[in-house]
Amino acid sequence: MTSTVSSREPILNRVRAATPDGAPSAADAQRSWSALPRDYIRRGSLSAPSRLELMMERLREYDAETSECRLEELPAAIGAQLTRSGRRTLVAPEGLPQEWLVPGFKWKIDHGSGNGSLDIGEIERADGVLTACFCGVADSGTVVLHHTAAEGRRVLTLLPDWHLCILRASQVVQTLPEYFSRSHESASAPALVTWISGPSATADIEMTRIKGVHGPRFLNVILVRDEDAAAT
Amino acid sequence: MNAAAAPHPVLDPAHAPPFPVAALPVLRNPQLRKNVAHAIDVIQAKRARLVEEKTDWQALRSAAAAIRAHALENLGAYLELFEARCTAAGGQVHWASDAAEARQIVLDLLRQENAAEVIKIKSMTSAEIQLNPFLESAGIEVFETDLAEIILQLGEDEPSHIVVPALHVNRSQVREIFARRMGIENLSDNPQALTAAARNYLREKFLRIPTAIGGANFLIAETGSVAVVESEGNGRMCLTLPRTLITLAGIEKILPRYQDLEVMLQVLARSATGERMNPYTSLWTGVRAGDGPERFHVVLLDNGRSRILARKNERQTLRCIRCAACMNACPVYRQTGGHAYGSVYPGPIGAILTPQLMQMRHAQSLPYASSLCGACFEVCPVKINIPEVLIDLRAVVTDQERLRIKRLFDPMYLGLRVAALVFSRAWLFHAAQRMARIGLRPFTKKDGWIHALPSIGAEWTQTRDLRGLPKQTFHAWWASRGKGVARENR
Ligand code: SF4
Repeated sequence: MTSTVSSREPILNRVRAATPDGAPSAADAQRSWSALPRDYIRRGSLSAPSRLELMMERLREYDAETSECRLEELPAAIGAQLTRSGRRTLVAPEGLPQEWLVPGFKWKIDHGSGNGSLDIGEIERADGVLTACFCGVADSGTVVLHHTAAEGRRVLTLLPDWHLCILRASQVVQTLPEYFSRSHESASAPALVTWISGPSATADIEMTRIKGVHGPRFLNVILVRDEDAAAT
Repeated sequence: MNAAAAPHPVLDPAHAPPFPVAALPVLRNPQLRKNVAHAIDVIQAKRARLVEEKTDWQALRSAAAAIRAHALENLGAYLELFEARCTAAGGQVHWASDAAEARQIVLDLLRQENAAEVIKIKSMTSAEIQLNPFLESAGIEVFETDLAEIILQLGEDEPSHIVVPALHVNRSQVREIFARRMGIENLSDNPQALTAAARNYLREKFLRIPTAIGGANFLIAETGSVAVVESEGNGRMCLTLPRTLITLAGIEKILPRYQDLEVMLQVLARSATGERMNPYTSLWTGVRAGDGPERFHVVLLDNGRSRILARKNERQTLRCIRCAACMNACPVYRQTGGHAYGSVYPGPIGAILTPQLMQMRHAQSLPYASSLCGACFEVCPVKINIPEVLIDLRAVVTDQERLRIKRLFDPMYLGLRVAALVFSRAWLFHAAQRMARIGLRPFTKKDGWIHALPSIGAEWTQTRDLRGLPKQTFHAWWASRGKGVARENR
């Protein structure tokens, strides 16, 4: 298409002329970027138990449902939440441990791209979705998904009305900057991320908060007390 | 209904009436003012509480301001990096010098897709280039998907706020619009029911329409990623379900690195809606097979931004992350609402951004739509000194006026000319004072105040009183010190 090239140079030329002190390339800007003031709180000061407590409290403030269990109790805990919710048909990404797919419910496994991926209609008709997550941020009660094999494609956690999310205690950090450090350790910046802070909501009509506009109306988080967390 | 009787708001700065004129219908509409004040009170209270609990708030503001200033300073380099990374990830980057070019690029892309319908995520940039009317005149049906935008689109109204665009509409007005346009009988005015109506109205469209247009909150140069911050999930629907996604973003939306979001996300939600974090933030990078759109386009829009970038002091305008805290804090906005600003960008940020985007050819009344109280500067998460820019822009407007021939006959300019002459010569000044004291004596009442003046002086006394001149000037008092006269005159 012609328009992809036509205005590129003029715009970049105007921008460069407007910023004579600007670095010639992003690599050259690196040093001044590193020197930017960052005096905000990077690491939280809470003990591990208080950090986990804060995470759960913030989730509940968003009207998310929360429960806790030990690692070996997880399948039973998943079963309990499913039974309690009355939901029968569930979608799940292919990367979940087999024992999470507890018997007695109808599981539809999404194999991501290509063959074996569920179609939109199937996902839409499911009663709920079960996934893992990458991280939990206690300060804001945020669950972060990187959409890996155990977290699923984005659509999987979007269309079903009910999202059951498994969060391990060792994944919970206190501050948002701590999430970014973790993310940095595990990979260069992730390509797909969704930060979820409570169920979908709006306050567009007279600032009255209403749950569940288009995203899942119900978020249910099971906190798993795994080993690492006890150690910190 | 009151709102329906009011004239349709004009948000095209080239055609909108000047601020004081445009503000009148709102000032006369108590329902509208009540709606605006209520919404603002709620957000302000929530924001204040969350900012207070954040002990490192000022450090976050400083970091946010520094990151945005650094991004703008090096914008050329970062734009090129963004383009390279986004392209490498399978995205296509387009560049638009102005609104017309951006509209055409979007239309061409839609034509390639044979799109007859398109779903949209709320985007102020799209409103800035007046994309919807253009696409509709080209025969493409546009469906807004943000609840507030649906209210406005179906109600044939215009946004009056950049975060809660329909805050001037109350629940019974929404009920009336939805019942009429969605054909629902017996719809209640309960916000829960109204929201459910919108969900049903849109669900089928999300699942059916394969082309979406949206904006961007941030473009990450390091990775070529785009971030969208939202509450309802309509954004996620538009970003995930369609085959083709077109993102329209101003060139200033760049952040250098992924990690910069650790600052921006913390300040944005708190400032915008008074939440610790908004329900959903999505970030994606180009395309990924099997997950989300197959085709992804970014249209980078200049439309006057590079010109703002070139002006040293005004450049800070472009740091804006569109959180709307400045309008929520503004005593003028609170009274007039957003439509009076004649632009999709209202409030203090609109008062500085709109005239600059218009190259100071339109919207010259906006730099005056402020009391310069500084509340906007205090709340701005990226520390834009809005009052300072307002004053700069007033100077630009005054310079423009100076060149206009009509000022030769304008009483105010003539008066100021005479005043300049008088103030520069002491003897003239003293003579003028003597004459004024004699001239004003008949109008000065016993209480020492002048309540009414004739002729052009009435323009002043119509709305305020004027203090009568004292019997003795400071000069005269100084000269007579110690001569026993001073005490008489205080
Ligand atoms: S000027 Fe500052 S306060 Fe106003 S919208 Fe922009 S970032 Fe927010």
